[in-house]
Amino acid sequence: MSTQEKLLGRVMEEAPVGSRNKVTVVGVGMVGMASAVSVLLKDLCDELALVDVMEDKLKGEAMDLQHGALFLKTHKIVADKDYSVTANSKVVVVTAGARQQEGESRLNLVQRNVNIFKFIIPNIVKYSPNCILLVVSNPVAVWSGVNVAGVSLQKLNPKMGAEDDGERWKEVHKKVVDGAYEVIRLKGYTSWAIGMSVADLVESITKNLHRVHPVSTLVQGMHGVKDEVFLSVPCVLGSSGLTDVVHMTLKPEEEQQLMKSAETLWGVQKELTL
Amino acid sequence: MASILQKLITPLFSGPPEPPRNKVTVVGVGQVGMACAVSILLKELADELALVDVVEDKLKGEMMDLQHGSLFLKTPKIVASKDYSVTANSRIVVVTAGVRQQEGESRLNLVQRNVNIFKHIVPQIVRYSPDCTIIVVSNPVDVLTYVTWKLSGLPKHRVIGSGTNLDSARFRFLMADKLGIHASSFNGWILGEHGDTSVPVWSGTNVAGVNLQTLNPEIGTDCDKENWQETHKMVVNSAYEVIRLKGYTNWAIGLSVADLTESLMKNLNRIHPVSTMVKGMYGISEEVYLSLPCVLNGGGVASVINMTLTDEEVAQLQASANTLWDIQKDLRDI
Repeated sequence: MSTQEKLLGRVMEEAPVGSRNKVTVVGVGMVGMASAVSVLLKDLCDELALVDVMEDKLKGEAMDLQHGALFLKTHKIVADKDYSVTANSKVVVVTAGARQQEGESRLNLVQRNVNIFKFIIPNIVKYSPNCILLVVSNPVAVWSGVNVAGVSLQKLNPKMGAEDDGERWKEVHKKVVDGAYEVIRLKGYTSWAIGMSVADLVESITKNLHRVHPVSTLVQGMHGVKDEVFLSVPCVLGSSGLTDVVHMTLKPEEEQQLMKSAETLWGVQKELTL
Repeated sequence: MASILQKLITPLFSGPPEPPRNKVTVVGVGQVGMACAVSILLKELADELALVDVVEDKLKGEMMDLQHGSLFLKTPKIVASKDYSVTANSRIVVVTAGVRQQEGESRLNLVQRNVNIFKHIVPQIVRYSPDCTIIVVSNPVDVLTYVTWKLSGLPKHRVIGSGTNLDSARFRFLMADKLGIHASSFNGWILGEHGDTSVPVWSGTNVAGVNLQTLNPEIGTDCDKENWQETHKMVVNSAYEVIRLKGYTNWAIGLSVADLTESLMKNLNRIHPVSTMVKGMYGISEEVYLSLPCVLNGGGVASVINMTLTDEEVAQLQASANTLWDIQKDLRDI
């Protein structure tokens, strides 16, 4: 008898149960791994799968996470180039693709990444037809909604966010927009904040929380947008995915900005070969 | 004209801001330092996190990236500077600074390279946080923990090396995996030197108190038909293997450091295999740091467990002590 047979007496006859809360992360670069670690440290899944094309890096990352098993509550961490390893995922986080270079606008990345996605997405759906796909991609600040404990800041300062605002709140939004470029300039890429925000979304989905998050969804027909574009609006997230959109009451200038974003995006999208 | 801040918020208490109660500093924002920082943040162990490094852009970038995640965290203050004044009043300082082990390079080869860096770092840490506990992670960890202790002037119970905490975690994962159970349900200790000559204490391996060596008296030896010692070999090779595959290791060490931080911060009196000053134990007469099971609490290393070791295991510890002292005695200026 082996040591294992001497130690453990089998009770359950059937095959072990499959996972119920599997999360897959596609792409084991900085963003993918930051997302994976945030999901693991928040105890959001009972199985984590990693996929990438770089096999050594992929195996190394999986091993490094497995070596932390003592400190985690996710009993199964798997990785493979082959998408069969992702089967039956509840949520698939897609971080794969080329990274934004210093000075490169987010929109320039697009055609580079489309060709990668043409391989990835069908493979994901093949093995997890019921999954929720979370694409981590590379954004209009709506000042009228900004509030602390329900007290609208714009009511306290009607000029908030405008050019002639003495308190220059618009600079806060500018810092957000410039934020990614600044961090990229300083450390080469961004990873931690996006990783944590991804885990926050995964939490709403896996725990069916129905929390509202600003995420990208099809906004055709809303706020005067006519084309098939995805823009971030407040959305309700639960285990079925993105179930509702919150109708924001936008000021005319805010709607203009949204429509302008939609037009810019459609301008790029219509040139893509899909 | 009153600002939004003045209109919105009425202060109830005006005074100097509260000093932090649970501040952690991480020295070195490389892959290991950042993995430690993120694990500590996500486990909500600190009310303030300070980062220090010499590469200013990278340091600022990392700080900003963490600050941008504030919405999802419970650590309200994240600061960073080249200047150590930013680390003042830390309870715990994690030292990950230093040059990284290259593929195939043994940990011992790193030594003098890292000692010179520590001569700059350690006195500054102690200057600004004289009551802290230091966790040394940089390799070779046992030697560098000794160096840190010497340079800091701190009592020995407040300087800890991450030691075989990670080796033991890897061991428990690999052994548990073979048995189909969770790592935390497999009890086993790897002690001594972190790395090539670590000592797996087979006599203590157990599940639910059922001793594996009693089930298989050959366990861990060359005669063992089940070849369990292969698992220990895998632990020793783990770091080299992961480095070969992805260039470095960081997640597992980050998680293990957060685990130690938790015991220290929350005064848990949990036992961890960490590197501590072992002169006077097991016939070791030199001032060396080796990993033994230590009770960790808010004061640092409260006590050490007297492991029941075989003669062979004691001999291995003594051999490690000799190897380490051999290196330490030639180090200059500490």
